[in-house]
Amino acid sequence: MEVYDVAVIGAGVVGCAVARELSRYRLNVLVLEKELDVATGNSSRNTGMLHAGFTYKLGSRRARYSVEGNQEFDEVAAELGIPFKRTGKLVVGFTDHDRANILKFKANGEANGVRGIRMIDAEEMHRIEPNAGGNFAMYVPSSGILDPMQYTIALGENACKNGAQFRFGSRVTGIVRVGHEALPKTLLTDRKVQAMQLSEEEDLYRITTNRGMIYAKWVVNSAGAYANEIGRLLGYNPVPQVGYKGEYYVLDKKAGAYLRTPVYPAPKDNGGFVTHATPTVDGNILVGPDWYYTHIPEDYANEKQSLDRLFEDGRKMFTKMERRFFIRNFAGIRWRNIDPETREILDFSIRADETIPNTVSLVGIESPGVTAALPIARRITSLICGREEEHGHLVAANENFDPKRKVYKRFSEMTLEEKAEAIRENPDYGQIFCRCENVTRAEILRAIHNPLGVHTLTGIKNRTRSMMGRCQGGYCQTRITELLEQELGVRPEDLRYQKENGWLFTGLMRSAEKED
Amino acid sequence: MGMGQDNLNKVNQVMEASVVIVGGGPAGLAAAVRLYDRGVTDLLILERENKLGGILKQCIHDGFGLTRFGESLSGPEYADRFIQEVKQRNIRFITDTTVIQITPDHDVYAAHRDGLLHVRARAVILAMGCRERTRGALAIPGTRPAGVLTAGVAQAYMNLQNRMPGKKIVILGSGDIGLIMARRLTLEGAHVLGVFEINPIPSGLPRNIQQCLNDYGIPLFLSHTVTDIRGTDRLQEVVVSKVDEKLQPLAGTEKVYACDTLILSVGLIPENELTIGAGAELCPQTGGAYVDEWYQTTVPGLFAAGNVLHVHDLVDFVSLEAETMAEGVVRYLNGALPNASIALRCGKNIGHTVPQKISGTENVVVTLRVRAPQKDAEIVIRQGKAMVARKRVRNALPANMIEIHLLKDQLTGGQDLEVSVND
Amino acid sequence: MIKEMTCVVCPNGCLLQVEYEKQGDQVAIQRITGNLCKRGLEYARQEMVSPRRTIASSILVEGGSMPLVSVRTSGPIPKAMIFPVMAEIRKCSVKAPVQAGTVLIPNVLDLGVDIIATRTVE
Repeated sequence: MEVYDVAVIGAGVVGCAVARELSRYRLNVLVLEKELDVATGNSSRNTGMLHAGFTYKLGSRRARYSVEGNQEFDEVAAELGIPFKRTGKLVVGFTDHDRANILKFKANGEANGVRGIRMIDAEEMHRIEPNAGGNFAMYVPSSGILDPMQYTIALGENACKNGAQFRFGSRVTGIVRVGHEALPKTLLTDRKVQAMQLSEEEDLYRITTNRGMIYAKWVVNSAGAYANEIGRLLGYNPVPQVGYKGEYYVLDKKAGAYLRTPVYPAPKDNGGFVTHATPTVDGNILVGPDWYYTHIPEDYANEKQSLDRLFEDGRKMFTKMERRFFIRNFAGIRWRNIDPETREILDFSIRADETIPNTVSLVGIESPGVTAALPIARRITSLICGREEEHGHLVAANENFDPKRKVYKRFSEMTLEEKAEAIRENPDYGQIFCRCENVTRAEILRAIHNPLGVHTLTGIKNRTRSMMGRCQGGYCQTRITELLEQELGVRPEDLRYQKENGWLFTGLMRSAEKED
Repeated sequence: MGMGQDNLNKVNQVMEASVVIVGGGPAGLAAAVRLYDRGVTDLLILERENKLGGILKQCIHDGFGLTRFGESLSGPEYADRFIQEVKQRNIRFITDTTVIQITPDHDVYAAHRDGLLHVRARAVILAMGCRERTRGALAIPGTRPAGVLTAGVAQAYMNLQNRMPGKKIVILGSGDIGLIMARRLTLEGAHVLGVFEINPIPSGLPRNIQQCLNDYGIPLFLSHTVTDIRGTDRLQEVVVSKVDEKLQPLAGTEKVYACDTLILSVGLIPENELTIGAGAELCPQTGGAYVDEWYQTTVPGLFAAGNVLHVHDLVDFVSLEAETMAEGVVRYLNGALPNASIALRCGKNIGHTVPQKISGTENVVVTLRVRAPQKDAEIVIRQGKAMVARKRVRNALPANMIEIHLLKDQLTGGQDLEVSVND
Repeated sequence: MIKEMTCVVCPNGCLLQVEYEKQGDQVAIQRITGNLCKRGLEYARQEMVSPRRTIASSILVEGGSMPLVSVRTSGPIPKAMIFPVMAEIRKCSVKAPVQAGTVLIPNVLDLGVDIIATRTVE
């Protein structure tokens, strides 16, 4: 019988941050994820901005958490060993009308506690970003860029290192609160359960998944696009939501040379931003998103109409938006909480109703969810610890907790001397698998044996940047799948691209077993 | 002679070579053999894979070598001709070695399991070949399931790794590799539903249309493209639409094909990251470096030939081009390379030319492609008002490389040239 | 009667026109045009009587540095025999090392053509 103190449903950036913060305490934490890796949903399907917090309503969770998350991020990035650049952001304008709209944001941002915002003239703007268009700009020095996939992986790996467990390919299908008296005898005599010292008022949740059943004292719903569905299983009323879908182009690093700072056009009268160009920490450029409504939870397909429009809009603002720089497209959806009457966009919904004890339900954690993930996670952690104390259970700190994640410098980012040294120490560094991004066998091997036990091809890709360059795996994919088979000792037909049924091969073309 | 362990253990010392050749595929091998035969014996070929031969290793079909050797060979056999020549001459090569940096002063750095190599060369030859254009480069709409791969990757899986990539196949693009893979997959029991080509004419060779598609009853749909990709885990279906003259999909012509694999054969792009790093300027039309008639890039002593320079139709032409380049390298080493200052500009219906600059002191074979198909095309090179070369082509197609001879005696001075197609 | 066909002998891929008469089961060729070389004539004649093709494939290698050795037919085989020959190729497996040029299946299906290795596998 498997029993945990906390079951976290969903291994997006918020779920992984919650698991990581909980792992500071001596709690048995299990993260259930329906996909085969972390951050396969909207956590990674966004621009990767570390938001400053100047757009959100004063006093809102979005405003408070993004300011808090933003201020601490240099330290977080260093601890977790993830690439992060505090690039600042330019919101550029041409007209007086633009200026008025920008000034509204400036005032709002200052009220929210965003430091250092200032209006700058064209000259200073061009010093910061030679390729920005516009007559003036608002400069927000605290904005930054990060790779939300790397960040989520880092949170997950650090949680894992500190004792949290992850179970992938596990879709939650049912959650039942089982009263103390109804708990199976075998469960109550379980060592782990006895250690919980449950009082007779304390119940457990029985969570069924396609991969079996577990019990947990606490349930945290961080299911992202499916948060309302999981919330319903817990007994929460759904929060009215609208899906804002947006699509992106990823441009070649050759285009990346033309942009260092995210440049946003002046907001429209309704406060919304249109398509913009953002550099990534790896040196690519993202152009997007556009937006339109969707009702389908995982509607991540790119639409031709949308791509065409994005190309036209993107070109106006980023003149180097040329077809020859296209590398890839993706799409994401912001599931935004709304007032169904007024259609007004509402704040993150974070509920921990006393009537549904020992649950936390997070709904509508859209932008700035990446920036806000740790502030949210800390609050949930203190809420859980606080409630436990109220019930007479002291939650002890995990004395072995290590906030740091071991970082390995990428081969591609080493100096020639460092490269020579790395190869000397480990010859696998001398074998380059990915010619576009210069990813070595050493790095692929480390990714194959990643702490979370993710074994998909996209898992390797997201951990190493192999298959992410110009040729999208044309050179390295065959080498990586070969190594995956060898290292994992699996048959070709057992390899997976990204998802459960995403097979890569039907099998061997020729085999020693004779055909009939 | 492959390089032994002993030598490689000294990698932290600087090695020297007259010429470093980056890439041991058809271009690199042909250049090496020719250089050696011209007396430049102090050569070093750096090859990133574990065997010489480049992409030819996976091209197991026959049809190579008719121009260069006068007989029809498979890819591995064609490569082996040159590999044997290299080995007979004891030309140095190191495999499993990826060049990571080339400086404008001809310092070459390469990664190998035994250490980081640093070779100081008098001249460097770029022979890295090309890459396939991908789905992302075309921005094909739809989901991103497993089962969408380029023809070359499918070919490597089947021919080198014994892996079967799928059973029910749609092929986008009628490039030669796509056609070859249509046949290969069919022979291995897969069902190829069709080959779809956005242009009104196929981009592969007519003989491949015949022997890879027609022979097996595989339909070819011209003026069609894939407009949607469906399936979350593995590819489930693709939507194909007819396109108009501007290559835009026509609403209402969508047809759904249930399949598990989409193979892309939609073009090749020269691979030039190292070239840029070395400071050479690229020609936006070819995707390769700007070169003169001896295939020298804008960086003195840095040469390029083969698919790294511009994508060729046939490997035979790659070998021949590399051999001509080798002659230029010899001259460079002897300090006798003439200065090329006459530019070739692309006029009417000319997509690009190679070279883009000439000295005017030599007869030159100019390679070019037309932009649009033209029947009975007269290709002309003009210098000012004077016509200095011309060639009639029965059926000029963008898919076919065209050669035109430019004789130095026809030139009337140092004025730039314009290449165009007469109506 | 006129039949058009693409010559597959070389990359030129000449479009050939074959003028012929049918005399019972026999085909009498009167004129072949469109060919740039003599091989086109030969190809057209053969194509009218019994089309033949060279095929390339792979054979399983046991204990080699590569799982497969690439092979081809030493000469063209009748089109109708392509799939039967593929079945023979699929059944075959060899032990490493294999030298390029080695006959792996002599006189496959009595067609007078061998299946030969086109690369060396150590």
